[in-house]
Parts: sequence; C-alpha cells; structure tokens
Amino acid sequence: MPCKHVIGHGPELARALAAWRSVAPAAALELRPLELDPAAGQAALTAALDGLDGLDDEGASAFVALDARFLNGMRLDLMASLRLRGIAMPALVEPGALVAAGVRMDDNCWIGAGAIIQHGSRIGFNTVIGGGAIVGSGVTVGHSAWIDEGVVIGRGARIGAQVTLGLGVIVGHGCQIGKLCIVDKAGRIEADVAAKTFIHASHTQPIVIVGA
Amino acid sequence: MRSRMPPQAYIDEAWFARERELLFKPLWQFIGLKVMLEKHNAFITRTLFGIPVVVQNFHGELRAFENICPHRQNPIQVAPHGVRPLFCGYHGWSFDREGATRIPHEDALYRFPQEERACIHLRRFALEVVGNLVFVCLAGTPLPIKQQFGAAMLASLTASSLAYDSEVIMTTYEGHFNWKLAYENLRDGHHPRYLHARSLYQDVKFEASISEEGVAGLRRLHETGIADRTRALGLMRSFSGGGRDAPMAAPPDEPYHAHVERYRDQDWYYNWLTFPNLHIASANGGHAFIIEHHIPVAPGRTDLVVYYVTAKKKQPYASSAAVLHAHMMGADVVMREDIEVMEQIQRTLHPGARSPHLGDYEFINASLELWYLDLMEGKFAL
Repeated sequence: MPCKHVIGHGPELARALAAWRSVAPAAALELRPLELDPAAGQAALTAALDGLDGLDDEGASAFVALDARFLNGMRLDLMASLRLRGIAMPALVEPGALVAAGVRMDDNCWIGAGAIIQHGSRIGFNTVIGGGAIVGSGVTVGHSAWIDEGVVIGRGARIGAQVTLGLGVIVGHGCQIGKLCIVDKAGRIEADVAAKTFIHASHTQPIVIVGA
Repeated sequence: MRSRMPPQAYIDEAWFARERELLFKPLWQFIGLKVMLEKHNAFITRTLFGIPVVVQNFHGELRAFENICPHRQNPIQVAPHGVRPLFCGYHGWSFDREGATRIPHEDALYRFPQEERACIHLRRFALEVVGNLVFVCLAGTPLPIKQQFGAAMLASLTASSLAYDSEVIMTTYEGHFNWKLAYENLRDGHHPRYLHARSLYQDVKFEASISEEGVAGLRRLHETGIADRTRALGLMRSFSGGGRDAPMAAPPDEPYHAHVERYRDQDWYYNWLTFPNLHIASANGGHAFIIEHHIPVAPGRTDLVVYYVTAKKKQPYASSAAVLHAHMMGADVVMREDIEVMEQIQRTLHPGARSPHLGDYEFINASLELWYLDLMEGKFAL
C-alpha cells in the first residue's frame, strides 16, 4: 500500500492528516505523520527528515503542513528539503472544493473544503488556499502563499510568492500584491501593494521594507 | 526630590509652540537613514514639529528643503520615501540641488516680475550626515553639530551606524502622549524589570543604580543654576551618550547571525540616547539595531518612526525580509508596553495635576528637566 509522509506542526498537521484521510481511505493510503518543532533549527529539521523511513518506497509521497510563519519561508524550506530527496508531493484538494477545469496547480498545494478556484487561474507550488476562499478567474498566485479561510481574490489579480492574506481580506479585481507581503487586516484592497509591505490589524500604518 | 515640571509642559499648545522655537528649531534633528537615500533622486519626507521637510539625493549629494512648492504650496514629494525627481505634480514645477525652480510655460502663463522671480526658490535647511544617520537643522544659523552631541558621541554614532545594512524595515506608531515622556522613559533604568518583565527584561537584566557623583552634580546645578550658554551646551551634551548598557542574559544565537558582519563582538545590550528625540539600541550584541525617532506632532501626540536593520549582510540571503519582519514584530511587544504606559500617564495629566517625585537614581532626568525649564524660561538660548 502506498504511504504518505505528512510532515508539519500543530493544528495544520492535524488538519492535513484529517484532510488526506477524507481523500483516501485507510485501506488505500497509509499516512505517516511527523511532528516537527519549528523552533528546533535547521540542523534538527534536516536530521528529522534524514531519519524518515520509506521515502524511496514505491508509491511513497509527502506533504508539508506548516502555517505562514517566517513569511511562509519555513514551509518553503521544508518542502524544498523534501523535494531534493526526490519524493512526489502532490497537491491536496479537499472534498467540497470547486476547482475549474484547466486550473494549474503545482506540488504541495492545499485547497481547503469549500474553496472555489475559477477558470484560468494558476496556483504556485506550496500555496495554501483556505476553506471557503474564492479565487476569481485568471488569478495568478505565486508559490508558497497563504490565503486564509474565506479570503476573496478578484478576477485577474496577481498575488506574489510567499504572500499571506489573512481573515477578512478582499483583493479587488486586477490588483497586484507584491511578493513577501502580509495583508492581515480585514477590508478591501483596491490599489496595488508593493513587495515586502506588511499590513497588520495591530498597526495603524503599514510596515515596509526599503532597500535590499 | 520634587520635580519642577508643570503639567502644562505636556498638555499645553502654547508651551508646545514655545518648545518648537526654543528647543527644536535651534537643534539638529534626525530625519532618516542614509542607506535609504543612496540612489540619485532618492528622497525622504518628514514633518518636523509641523514643518514639512524633504531630503533629496542629487547625484550623490544630499540636500534638505522645505517640502512646499513655492507656487501653490503643494507638497513636492508626497510619499514618505521613494526615488523620484524633485518635481511638483500639481503644475510641473521642478527644482535643482540649489532649490532653484524651473517653471514650464513660464513666459506664456506666469510672467513673474524679475524681482519676484528671483525670490522663487525652495527654502533650504542645513544637513549633516553622521555615519548612516541624517540630521537636519531648521535654524538659519545652525549650531555646529559637535556642540550638540560632542565628539565622542558623534564618533560612536558614526562607527555603529556604519554597521547598518541597506535593507531597512520601518513603520510609524501614532502615540497619544507628549514626546518628553519618551525621553524620560528611556533615561529611567528602573522600569524594565517591571514594565518589560515578560519581554526585554528576560534577555537583559537592566539594573538601575544611584551615581553619587551624578547626584552631587545635580545638587551643585540646583545651587548655581545654568549661568551661561557654554554651560548649557555642555550640560546638553551630557544628555546624549551611547555604547554598552547591560550584559545579555545569554549569548545571542539566531541562524541569521552567521550572515551578517556583527558590530563589535560583545554580548551586550547597546544603547545610544541621542537628545532630544532619537534612541538607537541593539538588543542582540550588535547583530541588529532598532532606531526610534520620536517626532512631536502636538502636545499629546507623538509619532514614533521605528526602523530596524541588521548589521551589514556578508552576502544576500533568502530569509532577510523574514528576519527583519520577525525583529519588528518582536520589538513591537516592547514598544507597545512603553507606549501604553506613556499614554496612560498622558491621560492623567490636567492643568492642576501635581508634579512627580523623582528618586536619586533619576538624577539624569532631574538634571534634564532643570536644563529644560531654564531654557523654556529664557534663562539661556541655544
């Protein structure tokens, strides 16, 4: 029986295990969870992955389930480490998600229950689209983004790599959100947001990064 | 000892206006980081005590001007920072490094008399660069900057700020308190163990102490007063200081530290208190720096412009933006603890409020208020 290594932390790991089980019954897919401590450091994470058994087994696959911490960089690093080991990492589309035909979706994507991805959209690898989110037609979402539950992205919008869109965010039609942004303040975004801009509900004014 | 500071110093509009004229106008004020102004046409805008200022890079040379177009008084640069020529978007007037104006359709539409035309240029302000720190002075005849900070402080600010990386994260907190509460708070080494018990104090054990020499100096100051401007300037320089403050509870150890050129190699909390309204610190032994600029807006309003930089990168690394964001959010916890208490204090102040009682450990704040009140009462001028 094929096995799937589900690797992650906390509620995301528990949620991913439940979601994969709803996709494939126990008789068809063995799930092997691995709980990681995100604070343990890169060396400890590498050692944990090195200790995994069965990565080379026929039909083995993996899935990474981590939250948006470190601008989604921790999930990206973990996924990259697994990719280097050559294991398949197919996307997870939960039951009840509506994904239009022809939508392109890459490895380790996670589309939550009730999400709607409309025609002509493209979802980069390692991106999480929360349950009930709506991604309009012709939207491009970069890799390793985090789109929270119920977020609405208007048609033709472009969401950069490693962007986080928090609860209650609506991105207007055609808007561009630059890479590495956080928009975690409920409301409608109607103007483009420059890369590395962080709009938090806790802050009156945005946090921005200037220079490189 | 009983403080002489009246509540009006924190809540009164007329007092605030007098502060602008007597204290802020004559002094050099921080305006931004040079690393944000490296490109031709890079600019920073800030409003310093109600006066809009733009610092603009003209082919590598920084110039400061009043950010008001002389035509219809539109701000010339609108964004807080960016890269754009000094050009007013309202009617297309543009300005060179001397503040001189090029006016499109001048002969056809404006026909200024020669005498009036000669007066149409931007108001320029003096500007000094100290390492990576850019200061401006709004006075017509600026005080030599060394007289404000002293040579040792300028050398320390230069050396430490030259360690800054060019990738900067920044934001502004809109504080509802008088700006002086910030400098009083920063010079009070006893509050961290209570106010920051669960945050900063976990990493750095600040210990307040009494300097008998400092207390004796304060007593002498009370007896003799500030006789002249030279003494006043000397005392003012003692309000700025910087360097090692307190040892860290544990050596700093973050994965990104390997990617940056650390400022010095000591596991200390570094602190630079730059009178009147700039504070710089490194809470992780010179791997990263927070720069807090307290800009007075109104008697009960202060904008805190906060910058965070790591030390210079050895080479670009993928997670640098995430490192800066994590630092900013970490600093946010301590900032909010300070802001909350300063806003609470501000809310208690009313015209009949009693003056506070200062302990001997607060001799620096006591000296500062004595100096400040003498300035405000016109006993000396800067």
